[in-house]
Amino acid sequence: MTEQRHAEIFALVRSNIYEVLPDVEGREIKSDDRLTDLGANSVDRAEIVMLAMEALSLHIQRVELSGVKNVGELVDALYAKSHGQ
Amino acid sequence: MTLVGIEAMNVFGGSAYVDVRELMEHRQLDTSRFEQLLMSRKTVALPCEDPVTFGVNAARPILDTLSDAERNRIELLISCTESGIDFGKSVGSYLHEWLGLNRNCRTFEVKNACYAGTAGLQMAVNFVLSQVSPGAKALVVATDVSRYTVDDGGDSLTMDWAFVEPSSGAGAAAMLVSEIPEVFQLDVGANGYYGYEVMDTCRPTPDGEAGDSDLGLLSYLDCCEQTFLEYRRRVPGTDYHTSFDYLAFHTPFGGMVKGAHRTMMRKLKKAKAADIEPDFERRVLPGIRYAQHTGNMMGGSVFSSLAGIIDHGSFDTPKRIGCFSYGSGCCAEFYSGVVSRTGSDRLRRFGIEEQLGARRRLTMDQYEAVLRANDSVRFGTRNVKIEPADEVAPFGSGRRLERLVLEEIREFHREYRWAA
Repeated sequence: MTEQRHAEIFALVRSNIYEVLPDVEGREIKSDDRLTDLGANSVDRAEIVMLAMEALSLHIQRVELSGVKNVGELVDALYAKSHGQ
Repeated sequence: MTLVGIEAMNVFGGSAYVDVRELMEHRQLDTSRFEQLLMSRKTVALPCEDPVTFGVNAARPILDTLSDAERNRIELLISCTESGIDFGKSVGSYLHEWLGLNRNCRTFEVKNACYAGTAGLQMAVNFVLSQVSPGAKALVVATDVSRYTVDDGGDSLTMDWAFVEPSSGAGAAAMLVSEIPEVFQLDVGANGYYGYEVMDTCRPTPDGEAGDSDLGLLSYLDCCEQTFLEYRRRVPGTDYHTSFDYLAFHTPFGGMVKGAHRTMMRKLKKAKAADIEPDFERRVLPGIRYAQHTGNMMGGSVFSSLAGIIDHGSFDTPKRIGCFSYGSGCCAEFYSGVVSRTGSDRLRRFGIEEQLGARRRLTMDQYEAVLRANDSVRFGTRNVKIEPADEVAPFGSGRRLERLVLEEIREFHREYRWAA
C-alpha cells in the first residue's frame, strides 16, 4: 500500500466524520478511535461509510464494509476495496 | 387485463404506547442526537394482546363493511408474521375463526422477517391475476409483536441496544386484495425483487432477537438501490425523483428511511442536500407518520407507511406511490401502485390516526410491569389465565368499541373474547 494513498483516504474519512458529526469537527481523529465513541449512531456510521464510498467511486455492496471496528480498519478496508483487493 | 390491488385496508397500532424519548432517558441512553432518529412513540403489546388480537383488530373493521356475499368470496387468508405462536398451527387459523370467514378458504402463513407482508400481498395479487376463481378475494394480514427480550452473548452478534428497544414496536395491517382495487391499484409486473443470505437481524430463540444493526442498515441500503435498479430495468424510463409522487418505505425508524432516501437521491440524481430535504418532506415524510406512533411494526410496516401517505397525501388527481419492502435475512422488493381520491376517502373511514391517538400512554413503571407480565405468555406457554387487571384498558375513544383480547391459554389453545 502506498503511504500517501492511505493517508489521503484517512483524510477523506476524517472530513466525512466532521461532516456527519459536527460536534467533533476540528478534533484529532486517531486510527484506533471507534466511530461509536465519537458519538456516531448506526445511521451516522452508515452515512460516513457511504460518503467515503461515493468519494472514491467504489461500486461494491455496502455490506462488504461492515464489521470494521475503528477508523483505521475502515480506512484499511476502503483502501483494499479501492485497489481491487 | 384484470385490475388488481387493495380493495380495503386498515392498520391497528394496539392499545398502549410509551414515549420513546422518555424510554431512552429511563435506560440512560444517549439522546443527544435523538431528533435525527425521527422516533416519537412506540406501541407496547400488553399480555392480553398477541399477533392474533392485533391481526383481528386490524381486519375486523374491513369485514364489517362487507355484505355476507362479499365476505364469502374471501377464498384466501394469508397471515404474515415473524412473531408466530406455534411452529405448526398458523396465526391464520385463529384469524379465520374470529373473523368468521367462509370455510372454503385457503389459509396459511408466510415468514420472511419484515418482508413477509409484501410476500403475502404479492401472492394474493397473483391469486387474483390467475383468475382460477374469478371474483374471489384474498385477505392478507401482516401482524407482529416484539415482547422484549434480547439474546446477548457472543462477540459478533451484538445488537445496538440503543436502537433496538426504542425502535421495536408492534402492530398489524390488514388488506383485502381483489380485482376491485379501490384503495391501491398495483402496477402489474412492475416489481424489482432482490435477496441473498445475510445475518443481519433474526429471532433465533422463541422470544429473543439477535443481530448486527450496522450490517442490517447497510443491507437495507444495498437492497433499496438494487430493488429500484431492477424495477427500472423492468419499467424502462423510471425516474426515482419524478416517477413517484410518494414513497412508502419499510420503517424500522424514521431516521433510517431518511438516510436511505438521501442516499438514493444523491446516488441516482446527484441531488444536493438543500434539494433533498424538501423532497423528503413532500414525498416520504407522510409515510413515516404512523411509524412515529407505533415503532417498527415489522411485517405491516410498509403498509403502515402506505396508509399514512394515503391518509395524509393529496389525491385530487391519481398519484403513483413507490413501495420499498425489506426483510432481514434477506429479501426486498420495490413495487408501485396508484391511489385515487376514492381510495383516500375509503381509507380515511377507518380513522387510523384517531385510533392511534386514543391509546393509553404507559409510565415507565407501568411499562416495566408489562414487560414482567409478558413473561407469563412466552412462546410455549401451556396454561395461563390473563388477569383482567392486565388489560390496561380503557381502549380510548376509537370508533370500534369491541376489540379482541386474549383471555386464557388452556392446554396451548388460545382463548379470546371481545372486550368492550
